[in-house]
Amino acid sequence: MKNPGARHNLAVAILADAHIRFTGSAGYYCGGLIDGASIEIAGSAGWGVAESMLSGTVRVHGSAGSGAAAGIRGGTVVILGDAAARLGVSMKGGTVIVAGNCGYMAGFMAQKGTLIVCGDVGEAFADSMYATVCYVGGRIANLGTDAVIVSMDFREAEQLEKTLSAQLPVSLRGAKPAAADFKKVIAGRKLWNFDKREWRIWQEAL
Amino acid sequence: MAELQQSGIFAPKVIEEIQAKAESGLYAIRGFGTLRERRWPTFDDLTFLPCSLTRIPLEGYREKCSTKTTLGTRFAKKPIQLDIPVMITGMSWGALSYNAKVALAKGAAAAGSSNTTGDGGMLKAERENSRTLIYEVLPSRYGVNIHHMRMADAIELTIGQGAKPGTGGLLLGSKVSDRIAEQRDLPIGVDQRSAARHPDFLGPDDMIIKVEELREATDWQVPIFIKLGASRVYDDVKLAAKAGADVIVVDGMEGGTGASPAIFQEHTGLPTLAAVCEARSALEDIGLYGEVQLIIAGGIRDGVDAAKAMALGADACYIGTASLIALNCNKPIYEDDYRAIGAAPHACHHCHTGRCPVGITTQDSELMKRLDIEHGAERVRNLLQVMTLETQMLARSCGKSDVHHLEPEDMAALTLEASAICGLPLVGTRKVFAL
Repeated sequence: MKNPGARHNLAVAILADAHIRFTGSAGYYCGGLIDGASIEIAGSAGWGVAESMLSGTVRVHGSAGSGAAAGIRGGTVVILGDAAARLGVSMKGGTVIVAGNCGYMAGFMAQKGTLIVCGDVGEAFADSMYATVCYVGGRIANLGTDAVIVSMDFREAEQLEKTLSAQLPVSLRGAKPAAADFKKVIAGRKLWNFDKREWRIWQEAL
Repeated sequence: MAELQQSGIFAPKVIEEIQAKAESGLYAIRGFGTLRERRWPTFDDLTFLPCSLTRIPLEGYREKCSTKTTLGTRFAKKPIQLDIPVMITGMSWGALSYNAKVALAKGAAAAGSSNTTGDGGMLKAERENSRTLIYEVLPSRYGVNIHHMRMADAIELTIGQGAKPGTGGLLLGSKVSDRIAEQRDLPIGVDQRSAARHPDFLGPDDMIIKVEELREATDWQVPIFIKLGASRVYDDVKLAAKAGADVIVVDGMEGGTGASPAIFQEHTGLPTLAAVCEARSALEDIGLYGEVQLIIAGGIRDGVDAAKAMALGADACYIGTASLIALNCNKPIYEDDYRAIGAAPHACHHCHTGRCPVGITTQDSELMKRLDIEHGAERVRNLLQVMTLETQMLARSCGKSDVHHLEPEDMAALTLEASAICGLPLVGTRKVFAL
């Protein structure tokens, strides 16, 4: 589709194994709620690109607005430019890769899946997560509540390198840190909601 | 010796609460809804003025009084058609057991009504047993699945909930079983908190685009509801209408919840009576009353509450807690088990524990067996039918051939506050006491 004119709700809820390419920028929710389709945006995307997708691929050649890949349950979202605030919020699976930087509160309440940012990330990164694994190539402005940096073993770094090499063009990949230099961020599981004492009390009561 | 006196401010219950906080470092979480003795105007502050000489009543058993209810006539190609105006509100599979969800679906279908999914997606058996199923899209997006969305008869974009407007859902780890964890993409046994706001829009302007996305996803066929927890109802209803809602749901502070901080249930939101009045005014002031349908929820107990809500401007009502009570919530059976969790029949608000003695708000397979789906469905159907009959009786006595013809003029206020809120004359004065 040529000259999409940044219109909203393009390629929403596509359930076919189709490839759709937009030559130009898309508005809100492009590729939202898809299952199985491959969407390519040769431009930038507005808010909520690929939100709640089940499977498929969404590639944004430019940058993406707030809430990119929010609530995705599977599939792959690749943003070759930067992502704005709230990247991968409440994501429940799948893989999100940003070649550039991302804004505030990325990964908030993320549940499962993998979130990779090759550049810098904004404040409150990976706040209040459950089981999503994040990798950051650049600087972390600050970590969100309960987010912790942990070490990455050789196999993980190898897997991360494979993922990045497969999804990013050589020109971009070459300028980014080596996979082994990425910081791995997960939930520290110290928030009250990981505490099972009360659960045990109720289980024992009845 | 002077009589010992307890403080009215630091009453025994307050002292207990302060000491519990001091000992645990935790705020109280519980289910059910507000437990406070009511000090605000409710539907009980209104009375119907049936026909006598100035108006002619309809014969109770001979003359027809329609209860057919159509919702979503504004933009949807396929508005939903119900036999009755009392519907089952959204309650999640997770907060409720599988048996409870399926019993509600079957009961609602048998009564010609609808049921609604909740903050956990759609159950296959729920869809199979529903006649009309409303699919909720909440901030958490748990279980959101485009295939399920497309099987729904309406979509409800939930902004808030009456029991706890302005905050997200809560499901304690005892209810995050392996099945619930799989459905919601969560780790097993970890307390689940939902986000308070949607991940991909912030305010009313971008919600317009969100509503359009949901229409695209469902091919512009089914109605889009927007559900609001009652707070600034007058403004919120206008904004929801502007965003393109076919139907607006307003959930008052008497609404229930499976779990939330107790302070939200007791100290936030507008009472349902006030909410329906503000919602109607909002729609009238923008010229959309009647075009955008209004559903009222929050503490609706019987056909009288439903009739009063409809007379004040609602097109239909949701029930939640009442439908669970129909399933035996708080019934004096398994009394030892109520005691084991620190509750008692008629005083159980322990939905959050996951140890519901009657099998409704639990994921424990043994407790769940206590709720027989067929028997539960029959009880839900009976309640919906009786509530509808009560609504019809009142409408006929007011001379109405359709329950939707009930109007404010059919009622008077029993208190000054209700007169001011509802714009109804105070009994004995024939005057409206409004500022």
